[in-house]
Amino acid sequence: MFVKLTRTFRAGVQNFIRNGWLSIATVSVIVTAMFIINVQVAVVTANELLLKDVQERVNISVYFKTQTEENRVLEAKREFEVISNVTKVVYISKEQALENFKASTNDNETIRKSIEELGTNPLESVLNVSATDPDEYEAIAGQIDRSSFAEDISKVNYQKYRGIINSLNKEIKSNQRVAILLGLTLSIVAILITFNSIRINMYSHRQEIEIMRLVGASNNYVRLPFIFEGIFYGFAAAGIAVPLAFFYLNFISSGETSNSILPFSNTKFIQTFLNDYFIKNIILIVLAQFFLGIFLGVVSSAIAIRKYLKIR
Amino acid sequence: MIVYENISKIYLGSAPALENINLEIREGEFVSAVGQSGAGKSTLLKMLYAEEAPSTGNIYFHRKNIVNLKNKELPYHRRNIGTVFQDYKLLPKKTLFENVAFAMEVGGRTNEEIDEAVPQILDIVGLGKKTDKYPTEVSGGEQQRAALARALVNKPKVLLADEPTGNLDPISTWEIVQLLLKINEFGTTVILATHDKGIVDKICRRVIAMDRGKVIRDEENGRYCI
Repeated sequence: MFVKLTRTFRAGVQNFIRNGWLSIATVSVIVTAMFIINVQVAVVTANELLLKDVQERVNISVYFKTQTEENRVLEAKREFEVISNVTKVVYISKEQALENFKASTNDNETIRKSIEELGTNPLESVLNVSATDPDEYEAIAGQIDRSSFAEDISKVNYQKYRGIINSLNKEIKSNQRVAILLGLTLSIVAILITFNSIRINMYSHRQEIEIMRLVGASNNYVRLPFIFEGIFYGFAAAGIAVPLAFFYLNFISSGETSNSILPFSNTKFIQTFLNDYFIKNIILIVLAQFFLGIFLGVVSSAIAIRKYLKIR
Repeated sequence: MIVYENISKIYLGSAPALENINLEIREGEFVSAVGQSGAGKSTLLKMLYAEEAPSTGNIYFHRKNIVNLKNKELPYHRRNIGTVFQDYKLLPKKTLFENVAFAMEVGGRTNEEIDEAVPQILDIVGLGKKTDKYPTEVSGGEQQRAALARALVNKPKVLLADEPTGNLDPISTWEIVQLLLKINEFGTTVILATHDKGIVDKICRRVIAMDRGKVIRDEENGRYCI
């Protein structure tokens, strides 16, 4: 068993090496396929991160009239917290709101002076209500409108991010479709090219194969070198595609290169993707890539064997 | 040991290649199948190593019907049968040693076994001093002897020789025939297909004469005459 494996493995290595240019061409095609699949996955993931980020910022801002007592607002907070699908309610007092406002205007002289002149705090206290799902906001806002606090509320604002979320969602879905289609097409191309290389190798080894069959080589012994050959193609391709994708993504997402290279995606989130996902899960990703490459190679050789390596 | 039972082989749109063949070959026999090209000798041999299947009939090898062998069983059946052909079928990029060793390698034999058996068998066929030569560097007769060594190195029960001397000069031919007889003396059943009258007459063993897919004569110690 071990003897057979080492012998067929060696034969596979020889197939791979002795067909220098053919092997290089084959590996290049698989690298291209895997590289583009990688980049697509990165783009889709980056967009999903972007969406998640926007979604997290989305909430319903409930503004209370300035004369409303703080206790009343906290009462409202407790009541809103038990509305179904509400995940959290954050209270921002008038004073806090003023601080935030000052900070957001960078302590602008004129604004500070005009507030001082006013004598009182013109800002309203706010409850920020977050929900499990952006689709719930409309219902929750309605419920807030109908609550017993309606008279104390000056306005309920939840529309701000809706458009962004919707268009982002659409983009992600279409990006995913493109990624899947592109990935599938390129995988098929890669399989076809690999299949063809293995077929050529079978042809150049036809004499050996004939003799193997005559002297009673087991079917696996005849097939394994070509399976190994397919594995090597995929293995070599994965070894190139992973670093290539990493450096490419790193390059386009750093510095001044902008969205133009990757439409619809936020380069910042590609960096996030690289740092938070790629590097943290590097072992898993590399394993998955090798698996993908080897899978492509094995499928190709299996097709070639089925079609061209007759047993009888 | 080998029984052909009502064997016919019919290719669509042509005369039958084999027609109702019934034969029995006993262990240790030396059988020559003679006849013109297209008489069906090669087809008969091919069926024995299951390269071709008969249209009708059964072939028994050691009482096992080999007509419908499963793909998985096929290699094990073929290990019982050594084959040599007119065109030797040696691998040009391997030395004679490597060519013979190849037959053992694919059978999963260890390197120790190979290093022991290959020089031995090459010695027997008289190529002990040419083990490192490539097929193109030796004569046709020597190539055929290397092919014989390869066929024998796995110790098959039967040796099939399909026109082994077709490309050889009379002296080399005679050497090959001598070798076949020697192999037969060691106990291997030999089936030789040939159209060479001279060698069959000299061998003086069982002769099966074939013509247009039929056995027309089958006699012990026969001579070649059609």
